[in-house]
Amino acid sequence: MGRSDEELVEACQAGEVSAFDILVARWEDRIRGAAFRFLGSEEEARDVAQEAFLKAYRALDGFKREARFSSWLYQIATNLCRDRLRRRKTRATVSLEALEETGPVMVETRPDAHERLLERDLAQAVRRAIHALPEEQREVVILKEYQELTFLEIAQALDVPVSTVKTRLYRGLGQLRLRLEREGIHGAAPLPAPAP
Amino acid sequence: MDCERVGDEGLRDGMMDVLYGEADAAVRARVEEHLAGCPACREEMARLRALRRDLGAWRVPVARPAFTPRGVVLPRWLAAAALLLLGFGATLGVAGYVSLRRALVAQEARAGELERQHREAVRALAATRDSRPVTVDSAALLASLDARVDERLRANESRQSERLERRLVDWEERAEAQRRVDMARVAASLSYLDGRHGQQLARTNELMGYVLEASQKR
Repeated sequence: MGRSDEELVEACQAGEVSAFDILVARWEDRIRGAAFRFLGSEEEARDVAQEAFLKAYRALDGFKREARFSSWLYQIATNLCRDRLRRRKTRATVSLEALEETGPVMVETRPDAHERLLERDLAQAVRRAIHALPEEQREVVILKEYQELTFLEIAQALDVPVSTVKTRLYRGLGQLRLRLEREGIHGAAPLPAPAP
Repeated sequence: MDCERVGDEGLRDGMMDVLYGEADAAVRARVEEHLAGCPACREEMARLRALRRDLGAWRVPVARPAFTPRGVVLPRWLAAAALLLLGFGATLGVAGYVSLRRALVAQEARAGELERQHREAVRALAATRDSRPVTVDSAALLASLDARVDERLRANESRQSERLERRLVDWEERAEAQRRVDMARVAASLSYLDGRHGQQLARTNELMGYVLEASQKR
């Protein structure tokens, strides 16, 4: 069993620089994934992940054990993504849609091409719906649904109460359902109610 | 048909916990109890679960290795061919290197042999020179040198005298030509003067004749 994040942070604070490499290897993909979902650009997601680890490394001495290392890292990455989105708005450059249209859409590989196509359409619709959410709801949905953080971790990462996280998530899911239904996605149809 | 507890935040948070598997036993029991008696919330939960399945369709691209060119994927046969070519090239390279190395060694051996032969030849020449002392006949050498100097001096004198003679002849010819030209000029001048004098004399005679004739008339 490897060392926990907190043990690695302690080792790094004690001068064991290689411990940070383990943290990077452990969290890089997830941070990059979150950044990609926030920004819609693979290039920018890579940059954000790199920048987030650099910031974390520089601020490691000031890291306190009040929150988990992963929450702290997500907080840094989320703030970096917010900055980028804000800059993008002021510059009015490329839209998220246009950015992601150029990149590959990864869907589960299945032998049935028709199903693949349907799933790709669904993925595009989901992406559009999530990017159309207000920033607060979008962050919570992405961190919960795709990064699989606990409510407490999300609360620490976003520096808000846990109940606020749940409220934003509930509202976000409701918005998503409406948007997907409007796009003709019927997967969100109700399942048969379980027998009482 | 709406739930009568639609504004109950505690129930809503509990539903979120159950939906994402974070509910403890007490919360789970409370939510399930409510769902059992509330078709609206049961439907809501079912919709949320279906929505979560749909949301799973959006995936993150796999990170590309830094050294892979973007969007370029080699077919397997091409990759195999490239590997084969690479192997063939490597074999050729090794074989070439070995043969080049051999040629270099042979060349070095040949150069060493040539150098050795050269040294031996030099040594042999030096030995021959040392064994035969050199004798020089200085008197004969001096005589030969004198003869060559005399011969050169004679040839030089002869060339000088010939050149002087040629110049003297040339000068004489020029002086004679000049003398002739001068004589011709003097003759021409005298002739001219004679002519003038003759005319003058004739005119005087004529005048004298006129004078004589006039005096006689008188």
